[in-house]
Amino acid sequence: MINRRKFLKNTGWIAAGTVAAPYILPSGRLFAATGSRTVDHVVFVLFAGGVRQLESIDKAEGNLMPFSFTGNESISPDILGAMSPLPTPTGTRLMQRGTLFKNFRYSQGPTGHFNGHTTAITGRYTTTDIQLRQPPAFPTIFEYYRKHTSPSQSSLNCWWVTDSLGPYPQLNFSKYPGYGAAYGANYIQPLSLINIDSYQFLGNPKTFQGTAKDRTIELNEFFNKQFKSKSSGSQNVITNTLEEQEVLQDFIYEMYQLALSGGFTNPWGTGTLNNDQLNLFTAGKVIQKFKPELLVVNLQGIDVAHTNFSQYCNNIRRADFALSKLWETIQSTPGMANNTVMLVAPEHGRNLEHNTIIDANGRYALDHTNDEMSRRIFCMLIGPQNAIKQNNVIDDIMGESIDIVPTISHLLGFRQSIPNGMLPGKVLEAALA
Amino acid sequence: MKKRLYSILLVSSLLAFNACRREPEPIYEINPVSVRVFGAEKIREKSPIEFISIAYSDIFGTTIPQNTLNKINIPYLGFGDKKAIEDLIIRNFLNSNNSIIPSNSEMRSNPELFVKNTIEKLFNRTPNEFEIWFLTDYINKTPSLTSSEFYYSVMTSEEYRFY
Repeated sequence: MINRRKFLKNTGWIAAGTVAAPYILPSGRLFAATGSRTVDHVVFVLFAGGVRQLESIDKAEGNLMPFSFTGNESISPDILGAMSPLPTPTGTRLMQRGTLFKNFRYSQGPTGHFNGHTTAITGRYTTTDIQLRQPPAFPTIFEYYRKHTSPSQSSLNCWWVTDSLGPYPQLNFSKYPGYGAAYGANYIQPLSLINIDSYQFLGNPKTFQGTAKDRTIELNEFFNKQFKSKSSGSQNVITNTLEEQEVLQDFIYEMYQLALSGGFTNPWGTGTLNNDQLNLFTAGKVIQKFKPELLVVNLQGIDVAHTNFSQYCNNIRRADFALSKLWETIQSTPGMANNTVMLVAPEHGRNLEHNTIIDANGRYALDHTNDEMSRRIFCMLIGPQNAIKQNNVIDDIMGESIDIVPTISHLLGFRQSIPNGMLPGKVLEAALA
Repeated sequence: MKKRLYSILLVSSLLAFNACRREPEPIYEINPVSVRVFGAEKIREKSPIEFISIAYSDIFGTTIPQNTLNKINIPYLGFGDKKAIEDLIIRNFLNSNNSIIPSNSEMRSNPELFVKNTIEKLFNRTPNEFEIWFLTDYINKTPSLTSSEFYYSVMTSEEYRFY
Protein backbone atom coordinates (compact mmCIF):
# COMPACT_ATOMS: atom_id res chain seq x y z
CA MET A 1 0.00 0.00 0.00
CA ILE A 2 1.27 3.46 -0.89
CA ASN A 3 1.32 6.14 1.79
CA ARG A 4 -0.16 9.58 1.34
CA ARG A 5 3.22 11.40 1.21
CA LYS A 6 4.54 9.05 -1.48
CA PHE A 7 1.32 9.33 -3.46
CA LEU A 8 1.49 13.12 -3.47
CA LYS A 9 5.18 13.07 -4.41
CA ASN A 10 4.60 10.74 -7.36
CA THR A 11 1.61 12.70 -8.52
CA GLY A 12 3.68 15.87 -8.43
CA TRP A 13 6.43 14.37 -10.59
CA ILE A 14 3.92 13.05 -13.13
CA ALA A 15 2.19 16.43 -13.33
CA ALA A 16 5.52 18.23 -13.79
CA GLY A 17 6.56 15.77 -16.49
CA THR A 18 3.29 16.20 -18.33
CA VAL A 19 3.77 19.96 -18.38
CA ALA A 20 7.47 19.85 -19.34
CA ALA A 21 7.48 17.04 -21.90
CA PRO A 22 6.10 19.04 -24.82
CA TYR A 23 9.00 21.47 -24.48
CA ILE A 24 11.80 18.91 -24.56
CA LEU A 25 13.37 19.18 -27.97
CA PRO A 26 14.90 16.35 -30.00
CA SER A 27 18.32 17.69 -29.05
CA GLY A 28 17.61 16.88 -25.42
CA ARG A 29 17.49 20.55 -24.45
CA LEU A 30 14.49 21.77 -22.53
CA PHE A 31 13.95 24.97 -24.48
CA ALA A 32 14.99 26.49 -27.75
CA ALA A 33 18.00 28.80 -27.89
CA THR A 34 17.38 31.92 -25.89
CA GLY A 35 20.08 34.14 -27.39
CA SER A 36 18.79 36.99 -29.49
CA ARG A 37 19.60 36.95 -33.15
CA THR A 38 21.38 39.75 -34.89
CA VAL A 39 20.19 38.58 -38.31
CA ASP A 40 18.15 35.62 -39.53
CA HIS A 41 20.57 34.49 -42.25
CA VAL A 42 24.31 33.98 -42.55
CA VAL A 43 26.18 33.14 -45.74
CA PHE A 44 29.82 32.14 -45.29
CA VAL A 45 31.99 32.16 -48.41
CA LEU A 46 35.27 30.31 -48.05
CA PHE A 47 37.12 32.40 -50.64
CA ALA A 48 39.34 29.40 -50.79
CA GLY A 49 42.10 27.88 -52.78
CA GLY A 50 44.80 29.81 -50.95
CA VAL A 51 44.76 33.59 -51.48
CA ARG A 52 47.92 35.51 -50.66
CA GLN A 53 47.69 38.88 -48.96
CA LEU A 54 50.02 40.35 -51.57
CA GLU A 55 47.52 39.75 -54.37
CA SER A 56 44.37 40.52 -52.36
CA ILE A 57 44.65 43.10 -49.57
CA ASP A 58 48.08 44.46 -50.53
CA LYS A 59 47.19 44.83 -54.26
CA ALA A 60 50.73 44.04 -55.39
CA GLU A 61 49.39 43.22 -58.88
CA GLY A 62 46.75 45.96 -58.81
CA ASN A 63 43.25 45.68 -57.40
CA LEU A 64 42.31 42.14 -58.35
CA MET A 65 39.19 42.31 -56.15
CA PRO A 66 37.58 45.57 -57.23
CA PHE A 67 34.04 44.41 -56.42
CA SER A 68 35.08 43.73 -52.83
CA PHE A 69 37.79 46.30 -52.13
CA THR A 70 37.95 50.00 -52.87
CA GLY A 71 40.71 51.36 -55.08
CA ASN A 72 41.36 51.57 -58.79
CA GLU A 73 44.95 50.33 -58.90
CA SER A 74 45.82 49.06 -62.37
CA ILE A 75 46.61 45.43 -62.99
CA SER A 76 50.28 44.70 -63.72
CA PRO A 77 50.81 45.10 -67.50
CA ASP A 78 52.68 41.82 -67.94
CA ILE A 79 49.73 39.70 -66.78
CA LEU A 80 47.00 41.91 -68.20
CA GLY A 81 46.67 39.78 -71.33
CA ALA A 82 45.70 36.75 -69.23
CA MET A 83 42.76 38.54 -67.60
CA SER A 84 39.18 37.66 -68.61
CA PRO A 85 36.94 40.56 -69.57
CA LEU A 86 34.83 41.60 -66.58
CA PRO A 87 32.65 44.65 -66.00
CA THR A 88 34.04 47.62 -64.11
CA PRO A 89 32.41 47.97 -60.71
CA THR A 90 30.47 51.08 -59.97
CA GLY A 91 29.07 52.39 -56.71
CA THR A 92 29.61 50.93 -53.30
CA ARG A 93 32.14 48.12 -52.92
CA LEU A 94 31.40 45.15 -50.67
CA MET A 95 33.89 46.16 -47.97
CA GLN A 96 32.03 49.44 -47.53
CA ARG A 97 28.92 47.51 -46.52
CA GLY A 98 30.64 46.15 -43.45
CA THR A 99 33.94 45.46 -41.74
CA LEU A 100 37.22 44.27 -43.24
CA PHE A 101 39.86 42.62 -41.06
CA LYS A 102 42.96 43.20 -43.15
CA ASN A 103 45.26 41.20 -40.91
CA PHE A 104 43.32 38.09 -40.02
CA ARG A 105 45.30 34.93 -39.25
CA TYR A 106 45.22 31.21 -39.85
CA SER A 107 47.43 30.80 -36.82
CA GLN A 108 48.02 27.09 -36.32
CA GLY A 109 48.14 23.81 -38.15
CA PRO A 110 49.34 22.94 -41.63
CA THR A 111 48.41 25.42 -44.36
CA GLY A 112 46.62 22.70 -46.35
CA HIS A 113 43.29 23.31 -48.03
CA PHE A 114 41.47 20.63 -46.06
CA ASN A 115 43.05 21.71 -42.78
CA GLY A 116 42.07 25.30 -43.47
CA HIS A 117 38.52 24.34 -44.42
CA THR A 118 38.15 22.13 -41.36
CA THR A 119 39.31 24.93 -39.07
CA ALA A 120 36.98 27.49 -40.62
CA ILE A 121 33.99 25.14 -40.44
CA THR A 122 34.60 23.57 -37.01
CA GLY A 123 36.24 26.47 -35.17
CA ARG A 124 39.12 24.19 -34.15
CA TYR A 125 42.67 24.06 -35.45
CA THR A 126 43.75 20.74 -36.85
CA THR A 127 46.91 18.69 -36.67
CA THR A 128 48.94 16.92 -39.31
CA ASP A 129 47.18 13.61 -38.79
CA ILE A 130 43.86 14.88 -40.09
CA GLN A 131 41.94 12.17 -41.91
CA LEU A 132 40.78 13.14 -45.38
CA ARG A 133 38.21 10.37 -45.70
CA GLN A 134 36.68 10.68 -42.28
CA PRO A 135 34.29 13.17 -40.72
CA PRO A 136 35.96 15.87 -38.61
CA ALA A 137 36.67 15.18 -34.96
CA PHE A 138 34.69 18.20 -33.74
CA PRO A 139 31.20 19.42 -34.68
CA THR A 140 30.79 21.61 -37.73
CA ILE A 141 28.97 24.92 -37.86
CA PHE A 142 26.09 23.06 -39.52
CA GLU A 143 25.76 20.71 -36.56
CA TYR A 144 26.01 23.53 -34.02
CA TYR A 145 23.35 25.46 -35.90
CA ARG A 146 20.94 22.57 -36.28
CA LYS A 147 21.39 21.21 -32.79
CA HIS A 148 21.42 24.44 -30.85
CA THR A 149 19.16 26.83 -32.66
CA SER A 150 15.96 25.20 -33.82
CA PRO A 151 16.21 21.44 -34.11
CA SER A 152 12.59 21.15 -35.13
CA GLN A 153 13.20 23.35 -38.18
CA SER A 154 13.61 21.89 -41.61
CA SER A 155 17.08 20.76 -42.64
CA LEU A 156 16.44 22.72 -45.83
CA ASN A 157 17.49 25.75 -43.78
CA CYS A 158 21.09 24.66 -43.78
CA TRP A 159 23.31 24.15 -46.87
CA TRP A 160 26.87 23.21 -47.73
CA VAL A 161 27.78 23.97 -51.36
CA THR A 162 31.21 22.77 -52.46
CA ASP A 163 33.40 23.42 -55.44
CA SER A 164 34.68 19.86 -55.68
CA LEU A 165 34.16 16.37 -54.26
CA GLY A 166 37.18 14.67 -52.70
CA PRO A 167 37.19 15.17 -48.94
CA TYR A 168 34.91 18.22 -48.86
CA PRO A 169 31.56 16.41 -48.49
CA GLN A 170 33.04 15.02 -45.25
CA LEU A 171 33.01 18.49 -43.74
CA ASN A 172 29.23 18.34 -43.42
CA PHE A 173 29.08 16.63 -40.03
CA SER A 174 31.43 15.18 -37.45
CA LYS A 175 31.79 11.99 -35.49
CA TYR A 176 31.55 13.91 -32.21
CA PRO A 177 29.25 12.21 -29.67
CA GLY A 178 25.83 13.78 -29.58
CA TYR A 179 26.19 15.46 -32.96
CA GLY A 180 26.63 13.79 -36.37
CA ALA A 181 24.55 13.23 -39.50
CA ALA A 182 21.26 14.02 -37.80
CA TYR A 183 22.43 17.63 -37.59
CA GLY A 184 24.17 17.84 -40.96
CA ALA A 185 23.41 20.25 -43.77
CA ASN A 186 21.91 19.56 -47.13
CA TYR A 187 24.82 19.20 -49.48
CA ILE A 188 25.36 19.88 -53.15
CA GLN A 189 28.36 19.83 -55.45
CA PRO A 190 26.96 21.59 -58.53
CA LEU A 191 29.56 20.48 -61.06
CA SER A 192 28.86 16.79 -60.33
CA LEU A 193 25.11 17.12 -60.29
CA ILE A 194 24.23 19.61 -62.98
CA ASN A 195 25.65 18.29 -66.22
CA ILE A 196 24.34 16.51 -69.29
CA ASP A 197 25.56 13.09 -68.13
CA SER A 198 23.73 13.20 -64.83
CA TYR A 199 20.67 14.65 -66.55
CA GLN A 200 20.60 11.54 -68.72
CA PHE A 201 20.13 9.35 -65.64
CA LEU A 202 18.32 11.67 -63.23
CA GLY A 203 16.40 14.12 -65.40
CA ASN A 204 13.52 12.02 -66.67
CA PRO A 205 11.96 10.14 -63.75
CA LYS A 206 8.68 8.24 -63.79
CA THR A 207 6.19 10.18 -61.71
CA PHE A 208 3.65 8.78 -59.31
CA GLN A 209 0.88 11.25 -58.58
CA GLY A 210 -2.26 11.22 -56.44
CA THR A 211 -3.58 7.73 -55.65
CA ALA A 212 -0.62 6.09 -57.42
CA LYS A 213 1.70 7.89 -55.03
CA ASP A 214 -0.47 6.85 -52.08
CA ARG A 215 -0.21 3.23 -53.16
CA THR A 216 3.59 3.36 -53.38
CA ILE A 217 3.77 4.90 -49.92
CA GLU A 218 1.45 2.25 -48.52
CA LEU A 219 3.44 -0.61 -50.03
CA ASN A 220 6.74 0.98 -49.07
CA GLU A 221 5.59 1.25 -45.45
CA PHE A 222 4.61 -2.40 -45.53
CA PHE A 223 8.09 -3.43 -46.68
CA ASN A 224 9.77 -1.20 -44.13
CA LYS A 225 7.73 -2.71 -41.31
CA GLN A 226 8.90 -6.17 -42.34
CA PHE A 227 12.55 -5.15 -42.16
CA LYS A 228 14.44 -4.39 -38.99
CA SER A 229 18.13 -3.98 -39.72
CA LYS A 230 20.69 -3.86 -36.95
CA SER A 231 22.98 -1.73 -39.08
CA SER A 232 23.36 1.95 -38.37
CA GLY A 233 24.85 2.59 -41.78
CA SER A 234 21.85 4.41 -43.14
CA GLN A 235 22.13 6.90 -40.29
CA ASN A 236 25.44 8.20 -41.60
CA VAL A 237 23.99 10.42 -44.29
CA ILE A 238 21.87 13.49 -44.15
CA THR A 239 18.19 12.62 -44.46
CA ASN A 240 15.12 14.75 -44.97
CA THR A 241 11.43 14.05 -44.61
CA LEU A 242 9.56 12.66 -47.60
CA GLU A 243 8.09 16.10 -48.27
CA GLU A 244 11.51 17.74 -48.08
CA GLN A 245 12.94 15.14 -50.43
CA GLU A 246 10.30 16.05 -52.97
CA VAL A 247 11.24 19.72 -52.66
CA LEU A 248 14.89 18.78 -53.18
CA GLN A 249 14.02 16.73 -56.24
CA ASP A 250 12.02 19.66 -57.59
CA PHE A 251 15.10 21.82 -57.09
CA ILE A 252 17.29 19.38 -59.01
CA TYR A 253 14.70 19.28 -61.79
CA GLU A 254 14.59 23.08 -61.90
CA MET A 255 18.38 23.19 -62.17
CA TYR A 256 18.26 20.77 -65.10
CA GLN A 257 15.60 22.83 -66.81
CA LEU A 258 17.68 25.96 -66.30
CA ALA A 259 20.76 24.23 -67.69
CA LEU A 260 18.84 22.92 -70.70
CA SER A 261 17.55 26.39 -71.48
CA GLY A 262 21.10 27.76 -71.40
CA GLY A 263 20.71 29.42 -68.02
CA PHE A 264 24.11 28.25 -66.83
CA THR A 265 25.97 29.15 -70.01
CA ASN A 266 26.45 32.85 -69.63
CA PRO A 267 24.12 34.11 -66.91
CA TRP A 268 26.13 37.24 -66.10
CA GLY A 269 27.14 38.21 -69.62
CA THR A 270 30.81 37.58 -68.91
CA GLY A 271 31.24 34.28 -70.74
CA THR A 272 31.27 30.70 -69.55
CA LEU A 273 31.28 30.24 -65.79
CA ASN A 274 34.38 28.70 -64.24
CA ASN A 275 33.97 26.29 -61.33
CA ASP A 276 34.03 29.00 -58.67
CA GLN A 277 31.46 31.05 -60.54
CA LEU A 278 29.28 28.00 -61.10
CA ASN A 279 29.43 27.29 -57.39
CA LEU A 280 28.45 30.82 -56.40
CA PHE A 281 25.76 30.94 -59.09
CA THR A 282 24.26 27.69 -57.77
CA ALA A 283 24.54 28.97 -54.19
CA GLY A 284 22.42 31.89 -55.42
CA LYS A 285 19.82 29.43 -56.71
CA VAL A 286 19.80 27.66 -53.33
CA ILE A 287 19.24 31.04 -51.72
CA GLN A 288 16.35 31.89 -54.03
CA LYS A 289 14.70 28.50 -53.55
CA PHE A 290 15.23 27.81 -49.86
CA LYS A 291 16.17 31.11 -48.19
CA PRO A 292 18.50 29.15 -45.90
CA GLU A 293 19.39 30.51 -42.49
CA LEU A 294 22.90 29.13 -42.87
CA LEU A 295 24.72 28.55 -46.14
CA VAL A 296 28.42 27.83 -46.53
CA VAL A 297 30.01 27.80 -49.98
CA ASN A 298 33.64 27.26 -50.92
CA LEU A 299 35.82 28.07 -53.93
CA GLN A 300 38.96 26.33 -55.20
CA GLY A 301 39.83 27.75 -58.61
CA ILE A 302 42.41 30.06 -57.11
CA ASP A 303 44.58 27.06 -56.35
CA VAL A 304 45.81 27.14 -59.96
CA ALA A 305 48.53 29.29 -58.37
CA HIS A 306 50.61 26.13 -57.90
CA THR A 307 51.33 26.12 -61.63
CA ASN A 308 50.11 29.38 -63.20
CA PHE A 309 50.47 32.70 -61.42
CA SER A 310 48.65 34.74 -64.08
CA GLN A 311 45.59 32.47 -64.03
CA TYR A 312 45.68 32.61 -60.24
CA CYS A 313 45.31 36.37 -60.45
CA ASN A 314 42.59 36.03 -63.05
CA ASN A 315 40.63 33.52 -60.94
CA ILE A 316 40.78 35.86 -57.95
CA ARG A 317 39.12 38.49 -60.16
CA ARG A 318 36.48 36.08 -61.43
CA ALA A 319 35.67 34.87 -57.92
CA ASP A 320 35.48 38.47 -56.71
CA PHE A 321 32.99 39.32 -59.46
CA ALA A 322 30.90 36.20 -58.67
CA LEU A 323 30.94 37.16 -54.99
CA SER A 324 29.32 40.51 -55.86
CA LYS A 325 26.64 38.65 -57.87
CA LEU A 326 25.94 36.43 -54.86
CA TRP A 327 25.49 39.53 -52.73
CA GLU A 328 23.13 40.95 -55.34
CA THR A 329 21.09 37.73 -55.21
CA ILE A 330 20.90 37.92 -51.42
CA GLN A 331 19.74 41.53 -51.58
CA SER A 332 17.09 40.73 -54.19
CA THR A 333 15.66 37.78 -52.28
CA PRO A 334 12.74 38.72 -50.04
CA GLY A 335 13.37 37.64 -46.47
CA MET A 336 17.13 37.64 -46.89
CA ALA A 337 17.59 41.20 -48.12
CA ASN A 338 18.80 43.43 -45.26
CA ASN A 339 18.59 40.41 -42.98
CA THR A 340 21.77 38.55 -43.96
CA VAL A 341 25.39 38.76 -42.93
CA MET A 342 27.91 37.47 -45.46
CA LEU A 343 31.36 36.43 -44.19
CA VAL A 344 34.20 36.05 -46.64
CA ALA A 345 37.61 34.57 -45.77
CA PRO A 346 40.27 32.41 -47.41
CA GLU A 347 41.16 29.15 -45.69
CA HIS A 348 44.86 30.15 -45.76
CA GLY A 349 47.31 32.24 -47.74
CA ARG A 350 50.33 31.34 -49.89
CA ASN A 351 54.09 31.41 -49.46
CA LEU A 352 56.14 34.55 -49.81
CA GLU A 353 58.73 32.64 -51.86
CA HIS A 354 57.67 31.24 -55.23
CA ASN A 355 58.30 27.74 -56.55
CA THR A 356 60.15 26.96 -59.80
CA ILE A 357 57.22 26.79 -62.24
CA ILE A 358 56.98 29.71 -64.66
CA ASP A 359 53.85 30.65 -66.63
CA ALA A 360 53.57 32.13 -70.14
CA ASN A 361 54.09 35.61 -68.73
CA GLY A 362 57.31 34.68 -66.99
CA ARG A 363 55.71 34.65 -63.53
CA TYR A 364 56.63 32.08 -60.91
CA ALA A 365 53.95 29.95 -59.28
CA LEU A 366 53.15 29.81 -55.56
CA ASP A 367 52.67 27.00 -53.05
CA HIS A 368 51.56 27.13 -49.41
CA THR A 369 53.84 25.40 -46.95
CA ASN A 370 53.35 26.97 -43.52
CA ASP A 371 55.48 30.12 -43.83
CA GLU A 372 54.33 33.34 -42.18
CA MET A 373 52.81 34.73 -45.38
CA SER A 374 50.69 31.62 -45.87
CA ARG A 375 49.09 32.32 -42.46
CA ARG A 376 48.06 35.85 -43.37
CA ILE A 377 44.49 36.11 -44.62
CA PHE A 378 41.64 38.62 -44.57
CA CYS A 379 38.09 38.38 -43.26
CA MET A 380 35.18 40.51 -44.41
CA LEU A 381 31.77 40.70 -42.77
CA ILE A 382 29.08 42.62 -44.59
CA GLY A 383 25.45 43.08 -43.71
CA PRO A 384 22.81 45.49 -42.48
CA GLN A 385 24.05 48.45 -40.46
CA ASN A 386 22.13 47.36 -37.38
CA ALA A 387 24.22 44.19 -37.35
CA ILE A 388 27.64 45.05 -38.79
CA LYS A 389 29.75 48.19 -38.54
CA GLN A 390 29.75 49.84 -41.96
CA ASN A 391 32.79 51.04 -43.88
CA ASN A 392 34.99 49.76 -41.10
CA VAL A 393 38.57 48.73 -41.85
CA ILE A 394 40.72 47.11 -39.17
CA ASP A 395 44.41 47.31 -40.00
CA ASP A 396 45.71 45.74 -36.79
CA ILE A 397 46.41 42.04 -36.48
CA MET A 398 43.07 40.93 -35.17
CA GLY A 399 40.94 37.80 -35.45
CA GLU A 400 41.72 34.30 -36.62
CA SER A 401 40.09 31.40 -38.41
CA ILE A 402 38.70 29.79 -35.27
CA ASP A 403 36.70 32.97 -34.56
CA ILE A 404 34.40 32.45 -37.54
CA VAL A 405 32.23 29.71 -36.03
CA PRO A 406 31.66 31.59 -32.74
CA THR A 407 30.80 34.71 -34.73
CA ILE A 408 28.24 32.91 -36.89
CA SER A 409 26.69 31.29 -33.82
CA HIS A 410 26.51 34.73 -32.19
CA LEU A 411 24.85 36.31 -35.22
CA LEU A 412 22.25 33.53 -35.36
CA GLY A 413 21.65 33.69 -31.61
CA PHE A 414 22.82 30.29 -30.40
CA ARG A 415 26.33 31.03 -29.13
CA GLN A 416 25.25 30.67 -25.49
CA SER A 417 23.71 27.27 -26.14
CA ILE A 418 26.97 25.65 -27.25
CA PRO A 419 28.57 23.81 -24.31
CA ASN A 420 31.53 25.54 -22.69
CA GLY A 421 34.93 24.50 -23.98
CA MET A 422 33.73 23.41 -27.39
CA LEU A 423 34.86 26.55 -29.20
CA PRO A 424 38.20 28.11 -28.28
CA GLY A 425 37.68 31.10 -30.59
CA LYS A 426 35.92 34.35 -29.79
CA VAL A 427 33.20 36.42 -31.40
CA LEU A 428 34.55 39.11 -33.75
CA GLU A 429 33.09 41.92 -31.65
CA ALA A 430 35.03 44.59 -33.53
CA ALA A 431 32.77 44.00 -36.54
CA LEU A 432 29.48 44.11 -34.70
CA ALA A 433 27.33 47.23 -34.69
CA MET B 1 4.21 -46.23 9.80
CA LYS B 2 7.02 -47.71 7.70
CA LYS B 3 4.53 -48.85 5.06
CA ARG B 4 3.05 -45.37 4.88
CA LEU B 5 6.49 -43.85 4.36
CA TYR B 6 7.19 -46.21 1.43
CA SER B 7 3.89 -45.24 -0.14
CA ILE B 8 4.72 -41.52 0.04
CA LEU B 9 8.17 -42.12 -1.46
CA LEU B 10 6.67 -44.21 -4.29
CA VAL B 11 4.07 -41.58 -5.18
CA SER B 12 6.67 -38.80 -5.02
CA SER B 13 9.02 -40.72 -7.31
CA LEU B 14 6.26 -41.40 -9.81
CA LEU B 15 5.28 -37.74 -9.81
CA ALA B 16 8.87 -36.60 -10.22
CA PHE B 17 9.60 -38.88 -13.18
CA ASN B 18 6.31 -38.07 -14.78
CA ALA B 19 6.90 -34.30 -14.44
CA CYS B 20 10.28 -34.55 -16.15
CA ARG B 21 8.97 -36.50 -19.12
CA ARG B 22 8.90 -34.49 -22.33
CA GLU B 23 5.47 -34.05 -23.85
CA PRO B 24 5.10 -34.93 -27.51
CA GLU B 25 4.72 -31.91 -29.82
CA PRO B 26 1.16 -31.57 -31.03
CA ILE B 27 0.55 -31.79 -34.74
CA TYR B 28 -2.21 -29.54 -36.03
CA GLU B 29 -2.25 -30.77 -39.61
CA ILE B 30 -0.69 -27.65 -41.09
CA ASN B 31 2.76 -27.04 -42.52
CA PRO B 32 5.37 -25.55 -40.15
CA VAL B 33 5.87 -21.82 -40.80
CA SER B 34 8.97 -19.84 -39.93
CA VAL B 35 8.19 -16.79 -37.81
CA ARG B 36 11.63 -15.14 -38.08
CA VAL B 37 11.82 -11.49 -39.07
CA PHE B 38 12.66 -11.67 -42.75
CA GLY B 39 15.63 -9.68 -43.81
CA ALA B 40 16.89 -9.39 -40.23
CA GLU B 41 20.16 -11.02 -41.16
CA LYS B 42 20.93 -8.27 -43.66
CA ILE B 43 23.28 -5.93 -41.87
CA ARG B 44 25.52 -4.70 -44.67
CA GLU B 45 24.40 -1.56 -46.41
CA LYS B 46 25.08 -1.38 -50.12
CA SER B 47 27.76 1.07 -51.14
CA PRO B 48 26.71 3.70 -53.71
CA ILE B 49 28.32 1.68 -56.51
CA GLU B 50 26.69 -1.54 -55.32
CA PHE B 51 23.30 0.13 -55.01
CA ILE B 52 23.44 1.58 -58.52
CA SER B 53 24.83 -1.62 -60.09
CA ILE B 54 22.27 -3.90 -58.47
CA ALA B 55 19.34 -1.58 -59.25
CA TYR B 56 20.46 -1.41 -62.88
CA SER B 57 20.67 -5.20 -63.13
CA ASP B 58 17.29 -5.65 -61.47
CA ILE B 59 15.53 -3.34 -63.90
CA PHE B 60 17.45 -3.91 -67.13
CA GLY B 61 18.45 -7.55 -66.64
CA THR B 62 22.05 -6.91 -67.58
CA THR B 63 25.27 -5.75 -65.97
CA ILE B 64 25.70 -2.01 -65.86
CA PRO B 65 28.37 -0.73 -68.28
CA GLN B 66 31.32 0.86 -66.48
CA ASN B 67 30.81 4.14 -68.28
CA THR B 68 27.17 4.31 -67.17
CA LEU B 69 28.12 3.45 -63.60
CA ASN B 70 30.59 6.33 -63.52
CA LYS B 71 28.05 8.75 -64.95
CA ILE B 72 25.51 7.88 -62.25
CA ASN B 73 27.95 7.59 -59.36
CA ILE B 74 29.27 11.15 -59.71
CA PRO B 75 25.93 12.95 -59.19
CA TYR B 76 25.15 10.40 -56.47
CA LEU B 77 28.22 11.61 -54.58
CA GLY B 78 27.43 15.24 -55.39
CA PHE B 79 24.22 15.40 -53.38
CA GLY B 80 23.77 14.99 -49.65
CA ASP B 81 20.41 13.29 -49.33
CA LYS B 82 21.13 9.84 -50.73
CA LYS B 83 17.53 8.67 -50.46
CA ALA B 84 16.39 11.54 -52.65
CA ILE B 85 19.01 10.65 -55.26
CA GLU B 86 18.34 6.90 -55.08
CA ASP B 87 14.67 7.64 -55.57
CA LEU B 88 15.46 9.67 -58.70
CA ILE B 89 17.76 6.98 -60.08
CA ILE B 90 15.15 4.24 -59.66
CA ARG B 91 12.35 6.32 -61.14
CA ASN B 92 14.55 7.14 -64.12
CA PHE B 93 15.41 3.47 -64.61
CA LEU B 94 11.72 2.55 -64.42
CA ASN B 95 10.89 5.20 -67.00
CA SER B 96 13.31 3.75 -69.52
CA ASN B 97 12.06 1.90 -72.60
CA ASN B 98 14.70 -0.73 -71.94
CA SER B 99 13.23 -1.72 -68.59
CA ILE B 100 12.36 -5.45 -68.45
CA ILE B 101 10.14 -5.52 -65.38
CA PRO B 102 6.95 -7.62 -65.73
CA SER B 103 4.02 -5.91 -67.38
CA ASN B 104 0.76 -5.13 -65.61
CA SER B 105 -0.97 -8.02 -67.36
CA GLU B 106 1.77 -10.42 -66.28
CA MET B 107 1.34 -9.23 -62.69
CA ARG B 108 -2.45 -9.66 -62.86
CA SER B 109 -2.36 -13.07 -64.51
CA ASN B 110 -0.70 -14.64 -61.47
CA PRO B 111 -0.25 -12.18 -58.59
CA GLU B 112 1.16 -14.75 -56.20
CA LEU B 113 3.86 -15.79 -58.64
CA PHE B 114 4.62 -12.14 -59.35
CA VAL B 115 5.03 -11.45 -55.61
CA LYS B 116 7.28 -14.47 -55.10
CA ASN B 117 9.43 -13.70 -58.12
CA THR B 118 9.75 -10.01 -57.32
CA ILE B 119 10.72 -10.53 -53.67
CA GLU B 120 13.20 -13.24 -54.60
CA LYS B 121 14.72 -11.09 -57.32
CA LEU B 122 14.89 -7.76 -55.49
CA PHE B 123 15.38 -8.84 -51.87
CA ASN B 124 17.30 -11.99 -52.75
CA ARG B 125 15.24 -14.11 -50.36
CA THR B 126 12.05 -16.11 -50.23
CA PRO B 127 8.97 -14.16 -49.16
CA ASN B 128 7.24 -15.39 -46.03
CA GLU B 129 3.66 -16.58 -45.99
CA PHE B 130 2.33 -13.34 -44.58
CA GLU B 131 4.06 -11.29 -47.26
CA ILE B 132 2.71 -13.53 -50.00
CA TRP B 133 -0.80 -13.34 -48.61
CA PHE B 134 -0.76 -9.58 -47.95
CA LEU B 135 0.81 -8.55 -51.26
CA THR B 136 -1.24 -10.96 -53.38
CA ASP B 137 -4.37 -9.73 -51.67
CA TYR B 138 -3.25 -6.11 -52.17
CA ILE B 139 -2.77 -6.65 -55.90
CA ASN B 140 -6.12 -8.37 -56.23
CA LYS B 141 -7.94 -5.67 -54.27
CA THR B 142 -6.21 -2.79 -56.06
CA PRO B 143 -6.94 -3.00 -59.76
CA SER B 144 -5.22 0.31 -60.50
CA LEU B 145 -1.87 -0.81 -59.03
CA THR B 146 0.84 -1.09 -61.69
CA SER B 147 3.89 -3.33 -61.73
CA SER B 148 6.05 -0.16 -61.85
CA GLU B 149 4.50 1.06 -58.61
CA PHE B 150 5.19 -2.31 -57.01
CA TYR B 151 8.81 -2.36 -58.18
CA TYR B 152 9.33 1.24 -57.11
CA SER B 153 7.96 0.49 -53.62
CA VAL B 154 10.27 -2.47 -53.18
CA MET B 155 13.35 -0.72 -54.53
CA THR B 156 12.92 2.34 -52.34
CA SER B 157 12.41 0.26 -49.19
CA GLU B 158 14.96 0.04 -46.40
CA GLU B 159 15.63 -3.65 -47.05
CA TYR B 160 16.64 -2.98 -50.64
CA ARG B 161 19.51 -0.80 -49.37
CA PHE B 162 20.98 -3.81 -47.58
CA TYR B 163 22.26 -7.25 -48.49
